[in-house]
Amino acid sequence: MTGQHPLADIDPIIHASARLMILTYLYVVESADYVFIMNMTGLTWGNLATHLNKLEEAGYIEILKTFKGKKPHTSLRMTETGRTAFQTYKKTMQQVLGDLQD
Amino acid sequence: MQEPINLKSAERKAFQTNVADGLWDVFIGCFLLELAFAPFLSKFMGDFWSSFIFLPFFGLVYLAIYLVRKNVVAPRIGTFKYGKPRQKKLMVFTIIMVVLNLVIFLLGLIAYFIFDKFSNGFLMGALLGILIMVGFSAAAYFLEYPRLYLYGSLIMLAPLLGEWLYTYHGASHHGYPIVFGPIAGFMILIGLITFARLLKNHPEIEIPEGE
Repeated sequence: MTGQHPLADIDPIIHASARLMILTYLYVVESADYVFIMNMTGLTWGNLATHLNKLEEAGYIEILKTFKGKKPHTSLRMTETGRTAFQTYKKTMQQVLGDLQD
Repeated sequence: MQEPINLKSAERKAFQTNVADGLWDVFIGCFLLELAFAPFLSKFMGDFWSSFIFLPFFGLVYLAIYLVRKNVVAPRIGTFKYGKPRQKKLMVFTIIMVVLNLVIFLLGLIAYFIFDKFSNGFLMGALLGILIMVGFSAAAYFLEYPRLYLYGSLIMLAPLLGEWLYTYHGASHHGYPIVFGPIAGFMILIGLITFARLLKNHPEIEIPEGE
């Protein structure tokens, strides 16, 4: 959608506040587990699961389900595609907000 | 969203969960217990064995902390792996601590073989205090652990205060038990309160069926 208004370039997958929070934390760490992201973002289990599925479908994160002993353990990691998309989103938003005059 | 998005503060917030359980306070406090109690034992066991005997104790405390973190803390606050900038910062911190420990070790040797003949306890106490403060300040900065500035300050003053109590008030063992005992107790207490608050504020998360 280049050539249009910069707002049109904003990635709708990232532009939801919950997903932006998730990606912010996953961007600054190498990987984190489900409980950690839940604590950091304050999202509920179900809500987080919904957003993570959308991010995984977009290829922005990887979800790895394993077992630690008898307990299930979900590990989350941002993909390179996700990192690039997050950086692009950040740049676009800075440009859009910078262009907004009082 | 209530807070502005800031990658640095997000990373700091994530990293600070490492010390949110107060268990490192307990561990460092247990180390100081050695300085408080070893002088009593040295009378019967000699300097080396009275310190060496604490190694199994530290091992047990470390093992207990490891198990508590794995089975109690991690299910409540989760776990994460550091990002690359943090890994680099921790590498720098490790190098600083290795160098600092070598310096302390060398100064200890110098003090033991040469320096002690023409020095006094105040000078050694001051030197030790400054090095400890440098170490704790570096740890507080690199580990995002502000309480270490307070602990470092208390520990820095402790050898001097101990020497003063020993010289002018006849306190035994250079005053170490009197000064390091309460500091160790204070750190362990802070750690335990922090841990209890974590348990209260972060109940274990129930994993829904089918997850």
